[in-house]
Amino acid sequence: MVKVTVDGIDVDVPPRSNVLQACEAAGKEIPRFCYHERLSVAGNCRMCLVEIEKAPPKPFASCAYPVNEGMVVHTDTPMVKKARRGVMEFLLINHPLDCPICDQGGECDLQDQAMGYGGDSSRYDESKRAVKDKDLGPLVKTVMTRCIHCTRCIRFSTEIAGVSEMGATARGEGMEVGTYVQKALSSELSGNLIDICPVGALTSKPYAFVARPWELKKTDSVDVLDAVGTNIRVDSRGPEVLRILPRLNEDVNEEWLADKGRFSVDGLKRRRLDSCWVKRDGKLVKATWEEAFTAIDGKLKGLAGDRIGAIAGDLADAESMLALKDLMGALGSSNLDCRQDGAVYDASRREFYTFNTSIAGIEEADAILIVGSNPRIEAPLINARIRKRFLAGGVRIGLIGAAADLTYPVEHIGTTPAALSDPAVAEVLKAAKKPMLILGAGALARADGAALLAECWKLAAASSMLTTDWHGFNVLQLAASRVAGLDLGFLPGKGGKGLAGMLGGGVDLLWLLGADEFDTAKIGASTFVVYQGHHGDKGAARADVILPGAAYTEKNGTYVNTEGRAQRGQLAIYPPGDAREDWKILRAVSGWIGKHLPYDDLAGVRARLEAVNPVFARVDILPRFGGNETAAPQGGALGDAAFVPAIANYYQTDPVSRASPTMAECTAAHAPALAAAAE
Amino acid sequence: MTFLDRTARSFLLSELLSGMSLTFRYMFRPKVTLNYPYEKGPISPRFKGEHALRRYPNGEERCIACKLCEAVCPAQAITIEAEPRDDGSRRTTRYDIDMTKCIYCGLCEEACPVDAIVEGPNFEFATETREELLYDKDKLLANGDRWEPELARRLELDAPYR
Amino acid sequence: MIDFLFNTTLGFFILTLLKAFALLVPLLMCVAYLTYAERKVLGAMQMRKGPNVVGPFGLFQPFADAIKMLMKETIIPSGANPVLFLLAPMLTFGLAMIAWAVIPVNDGWAIADINVGVLYLFAISSLGVYGVIISGWASNSKYPFLGALRSAAQMVSYEVSMGFVMVCVLLCVGSLNLNKIVMAQQTIWFCIPLFPMFVIFFISTLAETNRAPFDIPEGESEIVAGFFLEYSAMAFALFFLGEYANMILMASMTTILFLGGWLPPFGIPTPSWMGPIWFILKDCVVLFFFLWTRATFPRYRYDQLMRLGWKVFLPFSLFYLVLVAGVLLAFGWLPHAA
Repeated sequence: MVKVTVDGIDVDVPPRSNVLQACEAAGKEIPRFCYHERLSVAGNCRMCLVEIEKAPPKPFASCAYPVNEGMVVHTDTPMVKKARRGVMEFLLINHPLDCPICDQGGECDLQDQAMGYGGDSSRYDESKRAVKDKDLGPLVKTVMTRCIHCTRCIRFSTEIAGVSEMGATARGEGMEVGTYVQKALSSELSGNLIDICPVGALTSKPYAFVARPWELKKTDSVDVLDAVGTNIRVDSRGPEVLRILPRLNEDVNEEWLADKGRFSVDGLKRRRLDSCWVKRDGKLVKATWEEAFTAIDGKLKGLAGDRIGAIAGDLADAESMLALKDLMGALGSSNLDCRQDGAVYDASRREFYTFNTSIAGIEEADAILIVGSNPRIEAPLINARIRKRFLAGGVRIGLIGAAADLTYPVEHIGTTPAALSDPAVAEVLKAAKKPMLILGAGALARADGAALLAECWKLAAASSMLTTDWHGFNVLQLAASRVAGLDLGFLPGKGGKGLAGMLGGGVDLLWLLGADEFDTAKIGASTFVVYQGHHGDKGAARADVILPGAAYTEKNGTYVNTEGRAQRGQLAIYPPGDAREDWKILRAVSGWIGKHLPYDDLAGVRARLEAVNPVFARVDILPRFGGNETAAPQGGALGDAAFVPAIANYYQTDPVSRASPTMAECTAAHAPALAAAAE
Repeated sequence: MTFLDRTARSFLLSELLSGMSLTFRYMFRPKVTLNYPYEKGPISPRFKGEHALRRYPNGEERCIACKLCEAVCPAQAITIEAEPRDDGSRRTTRYDIDMTKCIYCGLCEEACPVDAIVEGPNFEFATETREELLYDKDKLLANGDRWEPELARRLELDAPYR
Repeated sequence: MIDFLFNTTLGFFILTLLKAFALLVPLLMCVAYLTYAERKVLGAMQMRKGPNVVGPFGLFQPFADAIKMLMKETIIPSGANPVLFLLAPMLTFGLAMIAWAVIPVNDGWAIADINVGVLYLFAISSLGVYGVIISGWASNSKYPFLGALRSAAQMVSYEVSMGFVMVCVLLCVGSLNLNKIVMAQQTIWFCIPLFPMFVIFFISTLAETNRAPFDIPEGESEIVAGFFLEYSAMAFALFFLGEYANMILMASMTTILFLGGWLPPFGIPTPSWMGPIWFILKDCVVLFFFLWTRATFPRYRYDQLMRLGWKVFLPFSLFYLVLVAGVLLAFGWLPHAA
């Protein structure tokens, strides 16, 4: 540790820190524009100037100056103040005074710091510079005249997102930031440019001019559009969610958020189910809760338990899955399934279906084998972690599956499961101290899913993946509800039917809890379908009774991400119209049909959750554990079909993003063929 | 002697009588009040009356939906919704002032960076129903068009003091 | 017809009713215009114009006010006792009207020319306090309650000295009959020999009618509006009418007791039909003084009011009573019992 004195406060900072970090450790706020703790140091805004004793008598850019033992730093001397005021005056020379029409207004670093450190007037009376706006695609709006050339966006896209598409052209007065050729950014993390831009040069296009930050109610929540469990902040005004921003969580998403989670918000306002519907004479008509419940009750009467089934969707919260499971149990049914893709899991041990290394643990790995997965599409933030690991150096990354650009170089070993037995693979994994294997959930949905799982586990057991302090075996889930469903045992019970068994007339009443991702045409023609969910998607189209549920921003729900980390989302706004929180609907149905579920409030449901599986009591915390048990899951014969991508179109994977016009635009911009096919 | 004097004054009610004579004399003084509906007093250029939304001389509305007036309004009487207009500029789709909430403090006028929302000289806008006092954008723009010469003159008169 | 009216019982009732109407309708008109006069006089003394919009010189203002009062909603507070709450203004208004039965506006022109006229007046005006107390209690609200308490204390205090003043007059007249009291002033109005008593009586009537500077039961700056704070619309209007009718009644009492009633001033010979005109003119002068004092003096504090009543007026009127009685006895001017 290096001892540094900042304004008379002694702090110890790690060697190789910079002066700015030392000042932060001393609790001194240093203004900055270009410096960002997750990006490389650029040192070009000159706002973080400080004075250092026994050094040349000039202000130093603290972000780019390393600390030395015994260094004495001053952050509030007249020289520092004057220097900052001067820098601010330079920055404002070409920055337009259009704060009133700027979307960054109210949450703008330049605005705040001009108030805090700037002077009261400018001496510049020449013409200001104007820059042509760039087109960065349907998500990011640019007003390049406002750009102060901090280059954060350039560094983010090259370093974090791994797409070297942004850069600066020309120098000095003529410098312009943009994509070299006019094209939409091809990153799934492009929304973070908006957060990272300290001024209003890059703002959100769908959110343009919608609201001011001071009008918004901020609610902490969890993203459910992929299985990463990104921590988000839901900004709402009145009855609408206006935008979603990432929340800092070093263990999960750091401070980033993938584009689908950020920009699907407009899907929460469209195609919503806001009242009950009951099918009468082959046509769905609006109904009251009583009518809907009566219709369900009428169908349930005289129906044997094994003729009733339930399928949970990918966005379901643990509370509602638990309530549905308890309801089915009360009806005497064990026909449950949360695996719409038909994936095969061995739910006997939790490590068979979770991301055991943990997302933060990726940074420790020294060899990574990706099997049947494209993390860039399936979990962009996990991919960003792998890229972060790659940038740190000393790691070998192998890919078995469909070739893809993962933003970092990979050794493509093969496209079929046969590549797993490549001796070179085993050799690399054996040589590594902390090897890890990422098995995509898409691969588990193959016919030979169980065999793949067993084969991968064997590979892990054979290398040093399963040691007492390192668990290198990971399943990368695709659906936010999946791990919770498996934890709850939302699977066919003894003698119960799975997804395939329930389809094709296997049951007479099928309860879909937001389940839209399977082929609803396969449901038997005589099956009575109850669809409980928030969007009028495929499942609702087939339904005989529709019960309007709440989307993830509208309920207090527990979600377990692919790591097995239980996290809670909070209610930001109330569900629209007649819609209610899902577990309450199930509780009400149970009361109506006389099979009262034993909980009446959220605390009761959560107590029951904890009783079913203690992992639900451990909210937000995920202890690291080693792979002590090496017994392999049930296997079988490996097939020889090539791996196919689990997700065809990143932007539209669920009812929310399918309803979102912004996501439709993204699809059109990035995958024109898919967009054309959808129409 | 002083005791006698005071007692005599008190018993003869001389102070009361002098007070009464004063009010009696005032009864015949000229009146100082204005005969309001028929006569009106002068109004300062800073008078804070009925609100108006102004336009530029070319007919373009000034308001850019920055929402500063909405934020500064201590009575929370202003409601604004905005979206990009077809030409990409920032405009309001809704600009409502609840005149029954408004306290006529003039902070909206002070906050406005483009002199769009102003409080005009008109204070005679009583209505027979409450609903008529919930002004929308059309009403405010109509006010602006109606009072524009007066509003411009007032801003010009007040400009040297800003 | 005339025979029927004067000689049958039913005729007597009808006649009395007619008389009452003949008295009350002009009286209510007077009340209406007294409010107008008050606003005009106060306005003038404060260099304002007063009401001037409704009708010529604002002369229809009282009617506009009356219509407004009738159109408004009567609000009965949820905590109030509704029966008593509505009874109080009726009582106040009714008592203010009843007292007029014995007031002679000309020689013998009274609805009831009774021998205990002064006593009757005194009794009725004392009952007025009930309206105030009932309203204050029934409102179930703190300010009305405070106002009612103050009003009760004030009326009781000032009636004592008022009583002694009246006794002085009665000593000089030797009768309780109001007609006789007036006739006794043919030589000289009592306001001259009994001048100090006249002043005390006038001030006490101000207190008795809750007028400024003794309007502490209403005291708008301390207890909002006092006992009728919770009243609105017609109930409020009844209080208002009652108060102003009481003012006119008190002015009439002053006129009868001290200013020679309907007698012309300085013994100017005038035809007897001029009596009511003289009476009204004198009333107007007294009422002008009511308004004038209101425009001039600030409100008394409660303790000052009590001090004035008990420590100044009471001893002084007692002393003067003894003096008057002594003088009458010493000079043998005692009137013969009628």
